[in-house]
Amino acid sequence: MIFNTPIFFWFFCIFILFYGFAFLKQPPKIYLLLVSSLVFYGAWNYSFIPLLVGSGIADYFIAQAIFNSSGQRNKKRWLILSLVINLGILATFKYADFAIESVADLLSVLGYQASFTTLSWVLPVGISFYTFQSMSYTIDVYRGDMKPRKGLVEFVAALSFFPQLVAGPILRAKHILPQMHAISMPKWLEAKHGFLLITVGLIKKTGADILAIPADKAFAAQESLSTLEMWTGVLAFAGQIYGDFSGYTDMAIGLAILLGFNIPLNFRVPYFAKSPVDFWRRWHISLSSWLKDYLYISLGGNRNNNRTRNVFLTMLLGGLWHGAAWTFVAWGAFHGAIITLTHYLANLKIFDRFNNSNTLVVSFFKWAITFYLILIGWVFFRATDINSAITIIGNLHTFGSASELGANAWTIFILTSVWVLLMHVMDYFVIKSADKLENKNGQFWLLIILGQALCLLIGEPSNEFIYFQF
Amino acid sequence: MNLSTSSFNEKGIKNMDTSITTDEQASSAQTLAHAEDRQVFIKITLAIVLGMMVAMGLVRLFLDANGANKQGILGRVLQAQAAVPKIIAEPNDLVMFYGSSMTRAGFSPRKFDRDLQKMGKDISSFNFGFGGLNPYYQDLLSRRIAEQFIEKDRKLKLALIEFNPFQTTSTRWNRAKFSLDSFITMLSNDAELWQILQEDLSRGIHLFNIKYIRNHVSAEMVTSYYSREIFPPERGQRFKDDKETIAARRSLGKELGELFEKEYPDYDGSDWYYPWQGAGTIPQERSAETLAIFDDYYAATQTDAQMKNDRLSRIRSADIEELHFEPFLVESFIGIVKNFQRFSDKVEVVMLPKNSRYIHYTPEAKMRLAQAIKQIEQATGIKINNHQDIKEVNADMYRDTTHLSRYRGDIAYTDFLLSEYAKVL
Repeated sequence: MIFNTPIFFWFFCIFILFYGFAFLKQPPKIYLLLVSSLVFYGAWNYSFIPLLVGSGIADYFIAQAIFNSSGQRNKKRWLILSLVINLGILATFKYADFAIESVADLLSVLGYQASFTTLSWVLPVGISFYTFQSMSYTIDVYRGDMKPRKGLVEFVAALSFFPQLVAGPILRAKHILPQMHAISMPKWLEAKHGFLLITVGLIKKTGADILAIPADKAFAAQESLSTLEMWTGVLAFAGQIYGDFSGYTDMAIGLAILLGFNIPLNFRVPYFAKSPVDFWRRWHISLSSWLKDYLYISLGGNRNNNRTRNVFLTMLLGGLWHGAAWTFVAWGAFHGAIITLTHYLANLKIFDRFNNSNTLVVSFFKWAITFYLILIGWVFFRATDINSAITIIGNLHTFGSASELGANAWTIFILTSVWVLLMHVMDYFVIKSADKLENKNGQFWLLIILGQALCLLIGEPSNEFIYFQF
Repeated sequence: MNLSTSSFNEKGIKNMDTSITTDEQASSAQTLAHAEDRQVFIKITLAIVLGMMVAMGLVRLFLDANGANKQGILGRVLQAQAAVPKIIAEPNDLVMFYGSSMTRAGFSPRKFDRDLQKMGKDISSFNFGFGGLNPYYQDLLSRRIAEQFIEKDRKLKLALIEFNPFQTTSTRWNRAKFSLDSFITMLSNDAELWQILQEDLSRGIHLFNIKYIRNHVSAEMVTSYYSREIFPPERGQRFKDDKETIAARRSLGKELGELFEKEYPDYDGSDWYYPWQGAGTIPQERSAETLAIFDDYYAATQTDAQMKNDRLSRIRSADIEELHFEPFLVESFIGIVKNFQRFSDKVEVVMLPKNSRYIHYTPEAKMRLAQAIKQIEQATGIKINNHQDIKEVNADMYRDTTHLSRYRGDIAYTDFLLSEYAKVL
């Protein structure tokens, strides 16, 4: 069930009637949330509900066992069990075929012809999100950052909370469980903010689907397009993935607000970043902070002169989290490399003045380099394989000898750039001054309705949300 | 509220009183909170429902104001559908030529009828050729036509059905997907949509939404309509004419447009126009001056460069020379023939003339075509009449690499059809 479909609209209408009018007390509300979330998930594929519920139940009891165990060693054993279950689920459903095929490829490179049978299983939607969410709970309890919560239904309801179930943001147990324990109903002003976020998200998603046209064109026909059209395609993909993913999370946050939940921001105008490190503070914040807290720090963080290794490994695994393909690994490695390079350059005395300067020219320069690197990174992310990515990157830097410009090439480039910028302006507005608009009833509802009408007119759920596959 | 702890001592009573007061306060605070919550949810529900209704109303208003479901192929299909009851009520025996844009361009029903009348046969024939309507859509449309004929217990004397190989390819199918939902909702009945809903709830609701709330116009149709200008489907013309030819084409085209308006003041702009029986104008109605301009116009439009560009476009958009068939579309075509068999005395399947000067099937395409023809013939029991290389139509009678030209190709092919099928009428 996708947010921008009629079926979700009707599902939500029915749900809100029960949630707001029939199930007023806490326990029935939790049951309603759980059942509705499972219906929402089951609309995609019912057969994976046991996997979702099962991993939640397992982590719920493991967290109790960690807390009740005496001695660090016993606690660690329980934690390892949790990690094995969660990572085992991920490995089986998401990475098994990739591993099998990679081994076969490796053997073939070494001169052995091996034929392995792949599993070819369907990837459960949202698996990367809910396993990470569930795992963070047992790790937090193990680290003593939180005590295990009582209430299995609450825990599973939090894990399967439908607004963020299939594409995040990745919620931390310590953030969502207390809210689930005492559901507070939204105030009207908060609800209006929810409506605003839903509309902004929908507009972004609609724009993202349109940006898919030049993006698909560029990535499908790497050699026959002009350099400008290739750059337009890459820029369009940058806008597409941003609009698609941040649009989804905006809608998720907005829907959660209508239900009385507060979900943290997942994007903060990411393409305005002035360094790769800054970018990861703004892009998919719930994942980058998860990776920092549970992977980077577990690897040792900045200690023991292993910062470079740890950053690189974290980004590499972060890349792999997105998908079982070498292109994602390359994307992660690329970001690992540019972050490491940024750290290295930041420590050079020669760059002191540059690093510390905030003048407009220097800021623009920092932004331009960062954005250029991010765009190059997206080529790895979007390309079908590493060779295609390298060809595309080559074509992006071929000036003069490229094919002739297609019709409206400059118009499409300008429209793409404007739309990417506009999405950021919308985000900036929502973060900085949404409250001013929300206090002006007439203007607020006019914009909401016009925004919704625009999306209804041209927004088609033809393209599923990109992040569903992760 | 804990009444069981009540006692008669002072402290107890006091305690109980206090307890009752506190519980009452808590209870009343909770009730108040519930009432406030309910008020917020009433507002939320109203905002969702009313907001969506207004937004949807605006969308509907916009689509209706722009006549979105009446434009191009959508409009022609709707107009043709609307004409079916009138056709059924015609007193003469009926002939229907059902097919693609090639049928639309290549068959002149009014000429057909006039010539038959000279033979003493009163026939009303109609052109049901639709550009952009692949066999799947044609199958759905033919079901609707069949229902109406069967309901009125009326039969076609002859149904001519075009089998168009390049309309049946996977490339063609993939390129038609933007129009899929609109056409399904327009051409399916509720029972068929209900069946889809039972198989896929999400898709079913989506389609009912397009049918009843969006007036058949899916968002993809809108997006495709407006983005066509910005995102042209193909790269520019590879082969170029000289400037004089291009200028002549423009000015002659403009002149023909003006002459058309002058000669047909009553034409209402319909794509499927009943007085013309679903086809275009005929030479008998045009002035000698107009016909002479048409000759010049064809000389300026049917240039080698134009034809070569058109061929490349057909290869890209329809796989016209390789012919990788989409099995689903072949099955759909079989469905069309079977639908017509339900309400026609005679059904003939034909392949329209092909511009063999520019379009050349590869050996593999020929094999695939032979296989598809065999499959259709076996499933329907009807032999396909291949008119692709008939001598009556030559390469100069096409306006591009696939469509016959007006007043030339259509006349020649209609004459050919007459020679072939007059005897069965």
